[in-house]
Amino acid sequence: MSWIVTGMGALASVGADADAMVSALIAGRTGLAELRGFDRSRFRARVAYEIDDRPEPGADEPLRATRWLVEAVRAAAADAGLGADLSEVPVLVGTTLRELRSVELCWRDKVPFDVHDLHFGTALRRHFGAADTHTVVNACSASLYALALGADLLDLGHADTVVVAGVDTLTESTYGLLDRCYPEAPDRVRPFDRNRRGMLQGEGAVAVVLRREADGPGPAPRIHARVRGVAVNCDAYHPSAPEAKSIAAVTAEAHRRAGVTPADIDLVMLHGTGTPLNDEAESEAVSAVFAGVEPMPYMTAIKSMTGHTAGASGLHSLVAAVLAMRRGVVPPVLGLTDPVEAVSGFRLVRGAAVRPPEPLRLAQIDSFGFGGLNAVAVVESVEHAGSAA
Amino acid sequence: MTGDGRRVVVTGWGLAVAGLGDAGDLLEPPGDRRDPAPDPVRRLSGRGLRYKDRATKLALVAGRDALRSAGLLGADDSAAVPGDRVGVVVSSNLGNVDTVCDTVQAIAEHTYLGTSPMTLPATSSNVIASWLAITYGFRGANLTLSNGQTSGLDAVHWAATLIAAGRADRVLVAGVEPDNAPVRHVLSGSGMTADPFDGAAALVLEAEPAALDRGARPQAVVGRYARRASLATAVARVTAGAVPVGLWCVPERGSDPTGDVVTGAHRVDLSTAYGPASGALGVLQCVAAVAWLCGPHAGSVLATAGIGDAGGEDAAAAVVLSSYAP
Repeated sequence: MSWIVTGMGALASVGADADAMVSALIAGRTGLAELRGFDRSRFRARVAYEIDDRPEPGADEPLRATRWLVEAVRAAAADAGLGADLSEVPVLVGTTLRELRSVELCWRDKVPFDVHDLHFGTALRRHFGAADTHTVVNACSASLYALALGADLLDLGHADTVVVAGVDTLTESTYGLLDRCYPEAPDRVRPFDRNRRGMLQGEGAVAVVLRREADGPGPAPRIHARVRGVAVNCDAYHPSAPEAKSIAAVTAEAHRRAGVTPADIDLVMLHGTGTPLNDEAESEAVSAVFAGVEPMPYMTAIKSMTGHTAGASGLHSLVAAVLAMRRGVVPPVLGLTDPVEAVSGFRLVRGAAVRPPEPLRLAQIDSFGFGGLNAVAVVESVEHAGSAA
Repeated sequence: MTGDGRRVVVTGWGLAVAGLGDAGDLLEPPGDRRDPAPDPVRRLSGRGLRYKDRATKLALVAGRDALRSAGLLGADDSAAVPGDRVGVVVSSNLGNVDTVCDTVQAIAEHTYLGTSPMTLPATSSNVIASWLAITYGFRGANLTLSNGQTSGLDAVHWAATLIAAGRADRVLVAGVEPDNAPVRHVLSGSGMTADPFDGAAALVLEAEPAALDRGARPQAVVGRYARRASLATAVARVTAGAVPVGLWCVPERGSDPTGDVVTGAHRVDLSTAYGPASGALGVLQCVAAVAWLCGPHAGSVLATAGIGDAGGEDAAAAVVLSSYAP
């Protein structure tokens, strides 16, 4: 079975809607800036990829993630012709940190916070009348994991339309612990570069509307893309370090579910966090999966511009892939000047965006998280569909 | 390809709640909670416990008991089945609130240098499911639901969905909430001042053929699930055409606001008996359901969590469990 994407909404540090976000990525613009919401004197790393919407510099407020999620869902639902009534539509939200930033402010600064807002169902009910809502807390692969669950609901006939979303903010606890763990403070996210120093968090939200392809777009004016398959697994290996063979296995399963071979893939949206552990495991898995494929697919890693948007990052990459395929342009890995040896055979886009001479039809989306949670999706362009499998 | 016809059965349960030994105890009035019962976490031993949070340790205790009772562990407590098609689904709303609050406090007092690097994984709320998977080598789909009052029943639903969709043949489900100062701070700020639940409940769910093929005896069948704006709607949705309800596990806040949603059934209020159980409640209810269905009782079991509109909550969820017949 295949599924169609009939609506998309996204926001991140680099852009306030899906088109603006992808235009910024193609232009090679970064969302990196001085840390805005925390007391900088408490940290060594003092930069991040935040959304600049706080009431005043250095002051933070609760419920920012909730606000962005509502924006992204509203945009995706409107795009899909659903309007603002989602009372009959399941909404699945992938996130790493939920509203834990609000919990931090509640505990340390005594900012009022209602525990009912710790999960996103409360806001989704208030804004959209949605009641079949699920906050899936699956670390940095959460939104792509949620995409698999959404596809399963459609597959089993439990729903005709599903909204799948992702959202994350910075929290001080994660930011501070990452700062504590890296030997040097990262200056920016530099996936696959010899001078990478680690990951920096980014903020954002994203939502897509998914339907069974056989049912057509329903009230939507257009089909954005076809989801060919989503695979998920778990390393069962380490609470934070990834495992290459498990990533290779989930990639192979995604290809099998999609009915494609590695040679069919035109574009890989790498997870690419700029941590040595991720980059080594991911490059080893990609090398194994695409061994013998010539030429390799185009590859990019948008966290070099958005930062690590965590629970939102998988669907951020998916939306970027859909619009990149439509425009026929692949965004660059910003700041990748001295690639590590492990990616020497990869067709990574560097410097500036490239416009391949041939159409981009099939994209692979990588998304991995703490706890060894891996999700890989295969998405097909509807503008250039046809020849692949 | 959907496997929609695969029945999902319960084959094991476990509890990590001070003073609670058997699932059947959940059907009886609770003993005096002032009696100091041993902390269930003391049933764990071995390396690596120091850096696991309390929620993870509680879930490891209940999860181990569930796997043992399902016959899925060997003599050395390692998994007796290959892990590739075994999933894990955890429900917890407050599980890592302590790590997050302790860390932000340490940063305020001592900068980032005051934090403990070993606690990094626990800032991510999936840490419990991740340790369950690592402990037993379960490499199938791994989910964590932090979905408010309904979360435990939602977890049971997603475990059943993973099996029905063919992503897993068996799933370990755990619902867990710890009691600590940050948890009490967040709850009391929201007007909840009762002593919260501290513990975990776990279930093993399997595709019926996967259970029968290894000679396991199913204890219950997982039926329909709904999460709706009101309790009455959710209950109507899952009970339509089902076996009459013999036991109704009522949502937190007792039966007052829920009125006559179900009539003629025996009622169990686990939140009143063991404290507001948040994301653990739904799984705890399903363990009680297994005890009911394996006992000399009639009828199916209706598990309900969240009261939706009636309590100013976003939703109510309901799950029906029934006795197993081949």
